[in-house]
Amino acid sequence: MASTATAALSLRLFAAKLPFPRRPSRPPPLLLFPPSSAKPISFQRIADAQPPPPPPRASSSPSPAQLQPIEDLPPNLRSIVALFQSVPDPKSKYQQLLFYGKNLKPLDQAFKTRDNKVEGCVSQVWVRALLDSDRNVVFEADSDSVLTKGLAALLVQGLSGSPADEIVRVSPDFVTLLGLQQSLTPSRNNGFLNMLKLMQKKALMLAAGAESNGNGAVPAGEAKDVGIGMNSDTGVNRSSVSESDVDGGREVSVEKSNLEVDEVDSESSLGSRGQRIRERLEKELSPIELRVEDVSYQHAGHAGVRGSDGETHFNLRVVSKEFEGKSLVKRHRLIYDLLQEELQSGLHALSIVAKTPAES
Amino acid sequence: MRMTMAMEGAALKLAPPGPFRPNSALALASAAASSSSSRASFRRLSSSAAASSSSSVLADSDPSASGSLSLGHLTRPDFPILHQEVNGSKLVYLDNAATSQKPSSVLKAVLEYYEAYNSNVHRGIHFLSVRATDEYELARKKVAQFINAGESRDIIFTRNATEAINLVAHSWGLSNLKPEDEIVLTIAEHHSAIVPWQIVSKKTGAILKFVDLDGGEVPDVSKLRGMLSKKTKLVVVHHVSNMLASILPIEDIVQWAHDVQAKVLVDACQSVPHMAVDVKALDVDFLVASSHKMCGPTGIGFLYGKSELLTSMPPFLGGGEMIADVFLDHSTYAEPPSRFEAGTPAIGEAIGLGAAIDYLSEIGMQKIHDYEMELANYLYESLQSVPSVRIYGPKPSRNINRAALCSFNVEGLHPTDIATILDQQHGVAIRSGHHCAQPLHRYLGISASARASLYFYNTKEDVDNFIEALNSTVNFFNTYK
Repeated sequence: MASTATAALSLRLFAAKLPFPRRPSRPPPLLLFPPSSAKPISFQRIADAQPPPPPPRASSSPSPAQLQPIEDLPPNLRSIVALFQSVPDPKSKYQQLLFYGKNLKPLDQAFKTRDNKVEGCVSQVWVRALLDSDRNVVFEADSDSVLTKGLAALLVQGLSGSPADEIVRVSPDFVTLLGLQQSLTPSRNNGFLNMLKLMQKKALMLAAGAESNGNGAVPAGEAKDVGIGMNSDTGVNRSSVSESDVDGGREVSVEKSNLEVDEVDSESSLGSRGQRIRERLEKELSPIELRVEDVSYQHAGHAGVRGSDGETHFNLRVVSKEFEGKSLVKRHRLIYDLLQEELQSGLHALSIVAKTPAES
Repeated sequence: MRMTMAMEGAALKLAPPGPFRPNSALALASAAASSSSSRASFRRLSSSAAASSSSSVLADSDPSASGSLSLGHLTRPDFPILHQEVNGSKLVYLDNAATSQKPSSVLKAVLEYYEAYNSNVHRGIHFLSVRATDEYELARKKVAQFINAGESRDIIFTRNATEAINLVAHSWGLSNLKPEDEIVLTIAEHHSAIVPWQIVSKKTGAILKFVDLDGGEVPDVSKLRGMLSKKTKLVVVHHVSNMLASILPIEDIVQWAHDVQAKVLVDACQSVPHMAVDVKALDVDFLVASSHKMCGPTGIGFLYGKSELLTSMPPFLGGGEMIADVFLDHSTYAEPPSRFEAGTPAIGEAIGLGAAIDYLSEIGMQKIHDYEMELANYLYESLQSVPSVRIYGPKPSRNINRAALCSFNVEGLHPTDIATILDQQHGVAIRSGHHCAQPLHRYLGISASARASLYFYNTKEDVDNFIEALNSTVNFFNTYK
């Protein structure tokens, strides 16, 4: 079993680049193909036919030319790849991945911001980047999905402590060496790929900012510019580099000042509806913690149906004793009922976190 | 042309042998290429199932004490794609709400179109073109009959249900909605039933009003009734929810809507494939569905609209086919359905949809529905037995039926993690995410859920495999907590 698995593992080295289909191929045209013997080619079959390759060392690795040579990877990443390659079967690999994720230092709630969020994932993934005293990039990350957290942990451990230019050079191909069936197809669903890209982008931004040394808060508009536009196709985004060059202050303080600016902006500049929501909830729920965030700009494409002043979408975080004994659905309904008037007059949607003091 | 028809008429009487018999494919190949090849071979299946020499049937089947096979066992052999391994395990396909698999007869029909008579429709007068047109229009007729629409011309072929809704939104919506007009929807609608109306309401000043769920976790039907007023111009509702598995009382809703002179658009994507839907009995104004969820090919769907509505609607897309006369400064438009079918349609795919309808009709929608109700209950009960599981939607009871799907979460685990290990370690294909129902997920206070959805070719064994795999997956993660 193990040998087949090893062979299957080595096959995945080929998977990304050679024309073997990743999925079993479709049977030939049905007219001449008796469905009863419809057994498409499977990886298992191909693997059995080939001898396992020599233990992977980049130079003698059977990986095809396009795969980035292992020596080019940051040293930490190299060791991780080697570790995974020594794990024999897929199930154990996943266990290894979970183990990494378990040991990942959790990300402070304060850093789970929009700017740090990896777009497009079904699970929530945040990545934070900062520079250490040697001007190397250090990452922190978190996710509510344990497998994604494992992948995040791999990237954090593999890339942290490396200089930005080395990080940016890392091609996502290395993940095929891990044997985790991780797809390299760019798509909004590809958490791993999007995570890596975000990390590379942040690394680049940090490096560019660190060159023009500075401190202190960044003007609100600029901070937002740098943060949004996370969905660029490549980790290397020259235009954002030039923007950020203008003012300095791009080093460790960047993430914090982004965060502060975001928070301050969204809270203190709440419009009339935001204020009303706040007042209503404060009055009726006596919360020990209340956050009202206007995120209407995120929905600018369809907001303002009735020409409302843009206050259409809010994130709410409410911690109140009133929720004790109530199911999640009941808590949400409570809040919805309190804000009925707003909902009837142009408030479109609320994203609600409703906790009791004990849960928060 | 007459000769062609006669040929088809004769050919239709042939009953081709079941496709799972080893020599059947060859027999089919040598039979005169005709539309009979698209006829379902199900009839032969039930009689020859016991005598089948196909190993895959024997391997898959698990006869009950009485010796009869379930609908799932009987039909599985018709679906070649189901007989494969993924990641080292037998494939257990439980993502039918996302898309269904296609029986051999449908695949044959599409292939045959391209091999034997591919030609553009409605335009040519040569033999191939006439044949293609006949088959294409025959497919339209099959759709009309399938949902008991009065006339074929009330069926408009679109790319899918999403496009059909967009058609209504842009064509009917833009020309009928005024500021302050209201559109009533539920928060459980699929994005395709929400977003086009958001776009249109922005342009027209109409207002969207959403019905949320009641205590039983189904859309609050009495609240919906309460929301209707003379301001209401349109009600947009799903028939069967792709997440909650709940079924709405469309007949009643249509009645109430018509009482206030509002129109009703029904998203029947999850109902038409699974039960008999009768647009006349329901009296709906618009109904949409997609072929790919009902054993047909992707790339084709349809809109049903009442004749008087369609004739009054302006075009959606402009181009060939939908015109009567074209001048440089203006054009005049064709009658429905052509008016809404600009450009060359997905001809082969429409014919494939016709073949799918034949296949389903051969089995009988009542039979499919009854079997799926059995499966639905079995799935729900089995899933309930998994510790810390939370299933969304109503609890099935004597009065409340659920569709054969379950969206669920396991406490402490992310649905994507569950789905990944189910796939990687067990070959079980389910879906995780928001299932194109973000507002519903937000209302339920979750970011994502896992979903297992069945179709008539699934079996109780599939459910058993799924539950076993799920338990194993949950253990796998729990050991690492």
